[in-house]
Amino acid sequence: MRSQAMFFKARAGDKLADRQLQANLGKAKSRFVEGRAQAVADYDAAPGADFEALRDAASAIRDRVLANLDVWLETFEDKARARGAEVLYARDGAEICRLVVDIARRHGVTKAAKSKSMLSEEAGLNEALAAAGIEPVETDLGEYILQINDNEPPSHIIAPVFHKSKEEVAELFARTHHTPKKDDIAGMAREAREVLREHFMSAEMGISGANFLIAETGSAALVTNEGNGRMVTTLPKVHVVVTGIEKLVPTLEDFSTLMRLLPRSATGQRISNYVSVLTGVKGEGDLDGPEHLYVILVDNGRASLVGTEFEPMLRCIRCGACMNHCPVYQSVGGHAYGWVYPGPMGSVLTPLYTGIGNALDLPHASTLCNQCGVVCPVKIPLPDLLRKLREKQVELKLRPWRERFALRLWGWVASRPALYGFAARTAVRYLSRLAGGADRIRALRAAPEWTAGRDLAAPEGRTFRELYAERVRHEGRTKR
Amino acid sequence: MTEEKMRVGLFVTCLVDLMRPRIGFAALRLLEAAGCEVVVPSTQTCCGQPAFNSGDTRVARALALKLIAEFDGLDYVVVPSGSCGGMIRAHYPQLFDDDPAAAARARALAARTFELTDFLVSVLGVGGVPGDFEGTVTYHDSCSGLRELGVKAQPRALLAHMPGVELKEMAASEECCGFGGLFSVKFGDISTRVVDRKCDNIRATGADAVVLGDLGCMLNIEGRLRRRGDERTRVLHVAEVLAGED
Ligand code: SF4
Repeated sequence: MRSQAMFFKARAGDKLADRQLQANLGKAKSRFVEGRAQAVADYDAAPGADFEALRDAASAIRDRVLANLDVWLETFEDKARARGAEVLYARDGAEICRLVVDIARRHGVTKAAKSKSMLSEEAGLNEALAAAGIEPVETDLGEYILQINDNEPPSHIIAPVFHKSKEEVAELFARTHHTPKKDDIAGMAREAREVLREHFMSAEMGISGANFLIAETGSAALVTNEGNGRMVTTLPKVHVVVTGIEKLVPTLEDFSTLMRLLPRSATGQRISNYVSVLTGVKGEGDLDGPEHLYVILVDNGRASLVGTEFEPMLRCIRCGACMNHCPVYQSVGGHAYGWVYPGPMGSVLTPLYTGIGNALDLPHASTLCNQCGVVCPVKIPLPDLLRKLREKQVELKLRPWRERFALRLWGWVASRPALYGFAARTAVRYLSRLAGGADRIRALRAAPEWTAGRDLAAPEGRTFRELYAERVRHEGRTKR
Repeated sequence: MTEEKMRVGLFVTCLVDLMRPRIGFAALRLLEAAGCEVVVPSTQTCCGQPAFNSGDTRVARALALKLIAEFDGLDYVVVPSGSCGGMIRAHYPQLFDDDPAAAARARALAARTFELTDFLVSVLGVGGVPGDFEGTVTYHDSCSGLRELGVKAQPRALLAHMPGVELKEMAASEECCGFGGLFSVKFGDISTRVVDRKCDNIRATGADAVVLGDLGCMLNIEGRLRRRGDERTRVLHVAEVLAGED
């Protein structure tokens, strides 16, 4: 997927103006935010259970993996190979595409059924498959909707059609499937299932992501709410897992700890509808399962974060809670962010994976309110990481010179109390004159965007320091 | 025998200095009423937060060192702002990773620094306050005060001591108002959408005033309420309400 992250501001403006989208965002927000709050409260209500402790345990698991990533990768590789899987590595998106297309050719594949995978979005895998004459079919209901809507990109990592209303989907289905328009979700799901069933039966290859890779057993774990993941990974004779190297967890026990957090944080569920732990190829006498299993472990920028100040970002388990709770995401939705990962996690990941200079707005598109950090199940300090990216931009002189200059100037003035005092008095007098006796200023040239939406309350006419100094002179009050 | 008074430094913050001096004086009155000897260093300016949040660590460090020196030797430092308080308490110590001596001074200052209502309740154990506000109020929890300093119960406890005040909680009081310092300047339209949700929640309570502990949120919320045509709902800093008229 080509990054459009440089255009965040313009895209955000469009999204704010999109009435339908705004209505959809409002409804969806309350569902996820309230859902999580309830799930956490329910969890804490059980005797001896503490969600905070669970978060600590989960971040510790993730850190343990990252501290020795190479060792865990080797362990995984050995175990997976022993069960008949082939483990491959991909450095970047192009390599993912090449590997998958090669595998498809080797097995004479003409159609690939896909279960949701973020990495295939990172790589633009669908286009590559299509170009090689292999038909990719998205089977996750949300992803399917997007695919038939002209390959629209997802707007949320766990709810790809978060931005659409039931009505919009109903129209799309009627148009694409040439069926009468339905008005119930169950009916639409049934209709999609009928279309997809054909594909499940005819696809020679299944492509999925993995929520976790379990080192001790060499398994890939898949957490979904639809049955499609199961079909994709068991029906076709070839199954390809495409996932990031950071998805490893050491043991099944660790996996179960993370599973207590993931669905609760993501959708407010205690557990999702389907949890599959896929280990190896179909054994002798097994009724189903793939004959060939490939696991493609992808770097695409991940390894370079290990050991850096941004390493905590690799703890991410892709639950989406940060975006659900982000006031900016809630206002503009996922498409504004311009790449695979939206919301606070995307504002960190996109610059790191696509280049700091290619997503200049994203680290600034946050009020640093830290609601994301509070809900992140693996305690990623998202605001700190956003701030560090801002620091990097300043170091690399990537910010507009006006902004850099203004900050330096402010710092220079604020370091000199006498000068600051003078500047403050002047500014206050200027603003007071601008208000012209009224209690507010309606337009301020220095901050046009601010006063486009709000009035600036006029200052009181004198600075605190002026008034206080006067008072000290009169009263001989304590002063330093 | 004279009792040693607690010496408390008041950091008024640059926004109070510029925009709302009366909040600084209200804080002063509250601290004095609680029996503190209040010291207001005359050279104080800005805590460095705008630079810090914009990624200019060099400027942030210089301003932090300046502030640390100004408030040296006092028993406590009190700030009528969650975000500047959060800057000193939560972020100053991280600013000096490569300078252990400065880091130690930053940590020492951080440990003595409190947001105003937190100080009154948690350190001084203040119950009664001089203010005499009459009416219903709703409280907006500012992000830094709430999430960096744990300020939530303290201002409510103090308001509860005022007989004329009725507190009516708004929906999502912990949600950001969309100010975010330069965020609201750079992304004015997104910020407006966020503050609109806050204004709706405030309005739904029907309160006479929204009370808060941060100048940034105050200017943002008041600015939006007025632009939307709400001339009725007052927007007040918690210090003003608690201290009453001078
Ligand atoms: S950053 Fe945290 S909250 Fe956001 S998706 Fe990742 S794990 Fe979930």
